[in-house]
Amino acid sequence: MLHNKSFVKKTKGGKVMKQVREHYLRDDIYCGAPSCTVCDSSGARLSSSASTILVVDTNVVLNQIDLLENSAIDDVVVLSIVLEEVKNKNMSVYNRLRAICSNSNRKFFVFSNEYHRDTYVKEMSGETKNDRNDRAIRVATQWYQKHLGGAVKVLLVTNDKENKRKASEEGICAETVESYVKSLDRPDLLDLLVRPSSEDAEMADVEDHRPSKRKVIYSEHKPMSEITSGLHRGIYHQGKLRVNRYNPFEAYVGSESIGDEIIIYGRSNMNRAFDGDIVAVELLPEDQWQGEKSLSIVGEEDEDEDEDVHLAPNSADDAPRTTPQQGSTGVINAGSSRPSGRIVGIIKRNWHSYCGSLEPMPMPGGSRGVAYALFVSKDRRFPKIRIQTRQLENLLDKRIMVSVDSWDRQSRYPSGHYVRTIGDIGDRDTESEVVLIENDINSRPFSAQVLACLPPLPWSVSSEDLSIPFRQDLRHLRVFSVDPPGCKDIDDALHCYALPNGNFEVGVHIADVTNFVFPGTPLDDEASQRGTSVYLVERRIDMLPKPLTEDVCSLRSDVERLAFSVIWVPSADYWEFIFSKKISTLAFCIWVHTHRFALALFMYVQEMTPEADIISTRYTKSVIKSAAALSYVEAQARMDDSRLMDPVTTDLRNMNSLAKKMRLRRIERGALTLASAEVKFQIDTETHDPLDIGMYQIREANQMVEEFMLAANVSVAQQILKSFPLCSLLRRHPTPTKEMLEPLLRVSAAIGLNLDVSSSKALADSLDLAVGGDPYFNKLIRILATRCMSQAVYFCSGDLSPPEYHHYGLATPLYTHFTSPIRRYADVIVHRLLAASIGISKLPSVFQDRLQLTSIADNLNYRHRNAQMAGRASVELHTLIYFRKRPTDTEARIVKIRSNGFFVFVPKYGIEGPVYLTTRAEKGSGEWYVDEQEQKIKKMDGSFSYSILQTVQIHMEVVEPQPNRPKLQLTLI
Amino acid sequence: MRGIQLQLSQTQKLRLHKALEQLESLSSKVNSDASVTIADSIPVNHEDGVLKGHGTADLDGEVVATLCGVVERVNKLVYVRALRSRYKPEVGDIVIGRVVEVAQKRWRLDINYSQNAYLMLSAMNMPDGVQRRRTALDELNMRCIFEEADVICAEVRGFQHDGLHLQARSKKYGKLSTGQLITVTPYLVKRQKQHFHHLEDYGIDLILGCNGFIWVGEHVEARDDMIEDQVNQSDPQVLSLEEQEKNYTSLETRKYICRAANAVRVLSTLGFIITLEIIKGVIDLSLSANIDIHDMLGSEFCVLVAEKEAERRSSNKKRR
Amino acid sequence: MEYVSPEGLRLDGRRPMEMRQIRAEIGAVSKADGSAVFEMGNTKVIAAVYGPREVQNRSQQLSDKALVRCEYNMANFSTGDRMRKPKGDRRSTEISLVIRQTLEECILTHLMPRSQIDIYVQVLQADGGTRSACINAATLALADAGIPMRDLVTSCSAGYLNSTPLLDLNYVEDSAGGPDVTVGILPKLDKVTLLQMDSKLPIDILENVIQLATEGCKAIANYIREILLENTKELEYRRGS
Repeated sequence: MLHNKSFVKKTKGGKVMKQVREHYLRDDIYCGAPSCTVCDSSGARLSSSASTILVVDTNVVLNQIDLLENSAIDDVVVLSIVLEEVKNKNMSVYNRLRAICSNSNRKFFVFSNEYHRDTYVKEMSGETKNDRNDRAIRVATQWYQKHLGGAVKVLLVTNDKENKRKASEEGICAETVESYVKSLDRPDLLDLLVRPSSEDAEMADVEDHRPSKRKVIYSEHKPMSEITSGLHRGIYHQGKLRVNRYNPFEAYVGSESIGDEIIIYGRSNMNRAFDGDIVAVELLPEDQWQGEKSLSIVGEEDEDEDEDVHLAPNSADDAPRTTPQQGSTGVINAGSSRPSGRIVGIIKRNWHSYCGSLEPMPMPGGSRGVAYALFVSKDRRFPKIRIQTRQLENLLDKRIMVSVDSWDRQSRYPSGHYVRTIGDIGDRDTESEVVLIENDINSRPFSAQVLACLPPLPWSVSSEDLSIPFRQDLRHLRVFSVDPPGCKDIDDALHCYALPNGNFEVGVHIADVTNFVFPGTPLDDEASQRGTSVYLVERRIDMLPKPLTEDVCSLRSDVERLAFSVIWVPSADYWEFIFSKKISTLAFCIWVHTHRFALALFMYVQEMTPEADIISTRYTKSVIKSAAALSYVEAQARMDDSRLMDPVTTDLRNMNSLAKKMRLRRIERGALTLASAEVKFQIDTETHDPLDIGMYQIREANQMVEEFMLAANVSVAQQILKSFPLCSLLRRHPTPTKEMLEPLLRVSAAIGLNLDVSSSKALADSLDLAVGGDPYFNKLIRILATRCMSQAVYFCSGDLSPPEYHHYGLATPLYTHFTSPIRRYADVIVHRLLAASIGISKLPSVFQDRLQLTSIADNLNYRHRNAQMAGRASVELHTLIYFRKRPTDTEARIVKIRSNGFFVFVPKYGIEGPVYLTTRAEKGSGEWYVDEQEQKIKKMDGSFSYSILQTVQIHMEVVEPQPNRPKLQLTLI
Repeated sequence: MRGIQLQLSQTQKLRLHKALEQLESLSSKVNSDASVTIADSIPVNHEDGVLKGHGTADLDGEVVATLCGVVERVNKLVYVRALRSRYKPEVGDIVIGRVVEVAQKRWRLDINYSQNAYLMLSAMNMPDGVQRRRTALDELNMRCIFEEADVICAEVRGFQHDGLHLQARSKKYGKLSTGQLITVTPYLVKRQKQHFHHLEDYGIDLILGCNGFIWVGEHVEARDDMIEDQVNQSDPQVLSLEEQEKNYTSLETRKYICRAANAVRVLSTLGFIITLEIIKGVIDLSLSANIDIHDMLGSEFCVLVAEKEAERRSSNKKRR
Repeated sequence: MEYVSPEGLRLDGRRPMEMRQIRAEIGAVSKADGSAVFEMGNTKVIAAVYGPREVQNRSQQLSDKALVRCEYNMANFSTGDRMRKPKGDRRSTEISLVIRQTLEECILTHLMPRSQIDIYVQVLQADGGTRSACINAATLALADAGIPMRDLVTSCSAGYLNSTPLLDLNYVEDSAGGPDVTVGILPKLDKVTLLQMDSKLPIDILENVIQLATEGCKAIANYIREILLENTKELEYRRGS
């Protein structure tokens, strides 16, 4: 192996520093063509029959990544210098390119030209870095040409005119992307092309009939240097732009420099920024701050954006943001308004592909030609995108994906290009896929590498499994599971024994997923990426492959399965167990010398009495055999049927009484009983169309199982935190701030209800006292309260201080997720932590890297949230499908008052939507006014008024204001 | 190329390289496995019995070198002769040292050994040449004989409990003056019968100390006289004109001293063995090539010496 | 940060198991008893050995063995940013100690009682792995000084980044903050005399990383041995007889 050496000198910004780096040039880098006789072809990726090999330039990758992702483009050599440049310019494109290169179906080969002896080029004096890199690309292309001889044509694809010219001079075949794609004779590929900016002039001609649009619409972005200095001087503020999900003209920038959120109103203030972009904001003068504007339902400006009917949000994170409103409408109180600003520059773009459809438009005359169309994203946070297409007639009624390329000051909308078609609009499968794409959910089948990690099937408990010393044989126990009907991924089971002394031994058995998913395997990586299973109305996207989810791990009845058990036992022979265990853990303790408390671990003893006090907790891996897999309904029915006296039923009753006591104690501690409007569909087995829709009914059996799961989670949280105070994965629920509870207090004040929010206990008590005239009143208040809270999140215990571990909703100082490892990756991690903490396995290396652990926790939160959003979106979709054929009259409750109408909540279907009192045309006519104090909307003459929480009768119907755009409309009867 | 830190032109480099190559080919031991480095095992015939000498150690029955050097075998004895290292004294060696300290009844001398060597007052011939017990007065006057930083020639007497002792019981030993001390690594000086040389042609003395200290000085005919002079001299500060005349060294002699000293330096740089014959050869070479004294340390002369040495060794070999 | 590309190349073009180019030169300081320059890529270290010589501070003299002292210093110009570092800061004191202890272990100090050996190590260029380079340079210098040793000591570092064990980290890789294992071995005796690690590693991976570093040490030992043998032969034939 030859090592040559040369020096690359760099200077860094700020301090000028000479950096000397070694750069070894090698002769063992191969060309990747299997036909090559000189090179080692074991790592070859290009096809042996390739007649043309493409070498792509950086600008081609950066702009045409969608084209490269299309499988029509193959036999591409990606030079390492190109990768490097792409990485520096756009990380997401880089990741996509890397994904293509590592995809074994694609024939993309990475050639490390920078480290090859013959293709490395030294920077010449007076040559810019760009020129040098271009030259490197040409040299590498030339090398390929020479290396492969005449048999294969090597084509340099570049859009850089200068580079192309020089390449031709040097005798290299070079073409632009456009001409290359044209030569392929595939018109659909042409749509994938990004128009180079030089074609802007052409576009201007096309749009000439709208001369007014050519004027400068947006102010110019400040140059980066100015932004940097502005940020230094504190006149600009940096932050991530978050657009209001419910009002795309309102956005927030969370700025650390002023410690508050800056509100950005309107498209011109948003100045071409997208949701997720890192932007620089300039504060507007204080007199322009829009504080007290009562938000109306419809959007401002002349665009026809309006509120759709949505599922009722479940937490403050989902709900539309409202500025706290004090005083009455129209009175501008400068002191209480929030800072508003406008965006002066974009520090980092967050452009990606968006799902949506084309805005309906008449077909242009010559249908074969190139047409321009406006694309409307499904997610309303994104503006319309202008695209150019040759297949307009195909795309009009399709859901498509579009990428953004640029956004000029002169154009109202960003311009982009077509990426791919998902399917017909309104089609359930298409729309479901859109839901998945929008929420970044990976629904692809598991790869071969992942499936290779599965145990050989059919799997059953083997004698080796039983012979492992730490695995206890609990097959003799009468274990059973209680789950929703039709549940196939059963990850928890229970047992309960009355002991002679009147105590109970209760065990929670959780599927032992970590026995099959080993850290660092492709299976584990995939699960960690997916984070959670996603439950849509008609399908489930698994976190783990189906054999594991439904068979090997699932604690089905009458089969032996491996489990991780938490058993609450009274003492007796307990000490024996401890001492037999201690010997084997001794060796382990030496290994984990940093975790000295490993030995003390088994001394942790609690009492458990018929009053449901936990005495001692024991954790063990086990083998169980479930006696029955019950559904909630079945379990409930058994408990209620006083004639049944079989052992399982007795166990159920015992557990239920224990659970009730535990629940009571929990509520005494201040746990909140929150409510959400969960809906359930009955799905036609043939068509998968929803047949019926209704609120999810919660039974005692549900609460019983939940209670034991909570107890198990809390026990495990204590256990793992004790062993690993710095690297445990826990779940916390932050205490809601005063501002977050503001809407709830306003509503309760309006209806004369006194809520005490000083602590979770006080809130729980006052919620219990809130009984209104009708039975649903209390639930409604609870739903409103739930909405004010933020969501619980996973975190790494080392990142926060112990008081912050608190779980507000459950009123417990520690909480984690342990009980659903089949469908949540967090539980898998917790299983590993628990196993390590009781000394039966080593702690995987990832736990030593706190940064990595934190990023895993962040990913889990992100995936968890997305899964919830997707689930809700799926429900919304099915609601729409359901009501398409069934216009309904029903009862609804007013939950929010707006200047031209109000939001109602339909308890029966769990949906929420706007009801307009005025039509759009007469907007702002002033017929209605809002009384903030009483939360009422009144007619000017005082003849009519609607107050919050009032019951109204509404009519629900699916209308299609535009073709292919069905939406659910609510009208007052 | 170690030790030679001179700016060499391309041709000089080639010439030097060629000369050194010739030397390499002439060397008899290079091709044998005699050279070892640390931790190399030395092949021995265990049946004959082995005596492990200096620079060897036993490792699992294997004889292993602990030094870089050349393996020497004398009958059953196997030892490693180290090349570059500090001086290893042997009884009877003639060494040159520098006084570090005047202590109780003794001088401490730096002789390039791992410790300082002692020269006892009693191991000295007194300046007056009379054999007698040393008195306290003698002890007080030790500084009159040798002071700190004086260069002294002596003979290794042997090891005592407190260290290495020297003796200077002959007229030829004693303080050295009017000359230069050059230090080279000891392995370049070979132990020979004669270490004191008088180069009559140039009127200089040359003492090749076994410890690598080499003295080049003005020839002194009657050492005893000189010492007497010193003793008689009551006040060395006020020298009469006559005495100054006597201490005066002619320019020519001084030049020869420098020339000889530089010759030693060149040989030391090149790592060639230093003997009278070779030094003489180098001096002659410099004279015949008409090279200035200061140019002797230049690159050209260095190359010349190397070539000359190669020539000399090859002719020696042929003669044999 | 990606330290190993999917193509299996590191930032400087090496593969994970490859060392940087090493170069050694004996006899860089003419006044010293032994000296050497050792380079591992851009890391360049000069070492000089004085002694065995008379003990300077007589109270430290040991009657049964030699006193070994070591001084490590990093030149101000050795790194990219020229910083004036106070002499004897914690880091250099620590490295001095490490080098001294490592080398003292293999010097046959009992052969040179009542004497002192001084080892001076100066980093001329720092590009990661200075500790290892210092030990290698010091070994060469000691051998050059003709000081009897049990065995050579060679050292090499290895790290673990991007789930790959990497041999001989350079500065960029070193400052990634990952685990950095420095191993020193006696190649002939096959013993470890130095083992240091920054950061944490799971035990089974640590074994792999140590193994890799040991392989590196052995490669360095072979190179050093060659250099020494060549030097010995050259001294011998130059001297003649």
